[in-house]
Amino acid sequence: MKLKKPWWNQPGIQIASVLVALIIVGGIVGGIFLTQTPPEQPIAFPHNRHVAIGASCLYCHTGATLGPSAGLPGIEKCWGCHQQVQKQSPELTKLAGYVERNEAIPWVPVAIQPDFVHFKHSPHLNAGLQCSACHGDLSKMKVAEPQKGQNMGWCLQCHKNTAPEQWTKLSDCATCHY
Amino acid sequence: MAEVSKGIAEKWGLVVDQDRCTGCNACVVACSMENNVPFTGEDNVAFGRGTYWIYNKRMWEGAYPEVAPAFQPVMCQQCGSAPCEPVCPTFAAVHSEEEQINLQIYNRCIGTRYCANNCPYHARQFNFQDPDIPEPMNSYLNPDVTIRRRGVMEKCTFCVQRIVAGRQTASAEDRPLRDGEVTPACVAACPSGALVFGDLSDPSSRVSQMAQNERQYKLMDELGTRPKVTYLKGGGRNGG
Repeated sequence: MKLKKPWWNQPGIQIASVLVALIIVGGIVGGIFLTQTPPEQPIAFPHNRHVAIGASCLYCHTGATLGPSAGLPGIEKCWGCHQQVQKQSPELTKLAGYVERNEAIPWVPVAIQPDFVHFKHSPHLNAGLQCSACHGDLSKMKVAEPQKGQNMGWCLQCHKNTAPEQWTKLSDCATCHY
Repeated sequence: MAEVSKGIAEKWGLVVDQDRCTGCNACVVACSMENNVPFTGEDNVAFGRGTYWIYNKRMWEGAYPEVAPAFQPVMCQQCGSAPCEPVCPTFAAVHSEEEQINLQIYNRCIGTRYCANNCPYHARQFNFQDPDIPEPMNSYLNPDVTIRRRGVMEKCTFCVQRIVAGRQTASAEDRPLRDGEVTPACVAACPSGALVFGDLSDPSSRVSQMAQNERQYKLMDELGTRPKVTYLKGGGRNGG
């Protein structure tokens, strides 16, 4: 007489459970890898060193007070200083290469929002918010790192805490979604 | 429709002077360009699946050969008590308390189309396909407006992106919004000045003044939707 295997020893169930486990683990790893690790930049720009010598964020990210996007610096901005200072380093050799070829540096944006969120820098800075409130303490980072949990609840929490008297306006869907 | 009991809250309003409208359809074009309204093609328009946030209703008046066209641009009426809002199961059609307009939140929309079926003005358009935007055409897209994907309802927003931008500019310069500072694309494009946009809560604004005109009427006002768009009766009777 053939013994019936218990359900957890059925090969179909075992293969299916391994597959499900693999998909879940893959999703978690992929999610963390895609959102929580700093992307590879063309030049490993050391934010901490620039902040330490007193460079303002707005010196390179000029658009922040003016418009929706803070902007990323081009070769003129970098070369404006590095033509004179600190020429000898492997990362700056890459910069010199971009300048020589007269090519834009293909920076990878780190703090990004989905297409249906129309975040604007200028109203936040005009309201007196510091860059570090959302982007973390750049004086402790080398390349810019994505911050955890930048979702809608996080946005609304800050809107609620910093300006409760403007809650109608700041909780309006049309403030960000249109 | 819980808002009925709250009293009349007014903010943005539009006046359409039918005596001035020449039916040139510049508003339709400007709207499509401003809001990334997809081109659906001839076949889809024939199926009734064309997307226009504003359309120009043309009626013929008189008997042949003495016929004259009458034009009525129809867009979302931004009802104060909107039939589309209570039927949305995902709250994608919501009322903006700040701007007093109806919003469509694209990322919430799951495409049940209840709102379009409940809208008496045919103002809501459904995306039956993903927009087809071949390579050089993507340069025309407005970065301030989300590109809607397949299965999402969309409609006129009174160019809420311009309202928000105007509001933010004014607050950066620490002053209130001026009358006529914010104009939707259709109003900006109208060559004959048939469309006037402004703040209805301010009695001195141009739009409030025009909405008091004796020719004024609202589309299907008897339904109790309290539209924010006021039409001024045309027909050349009042010198147009």
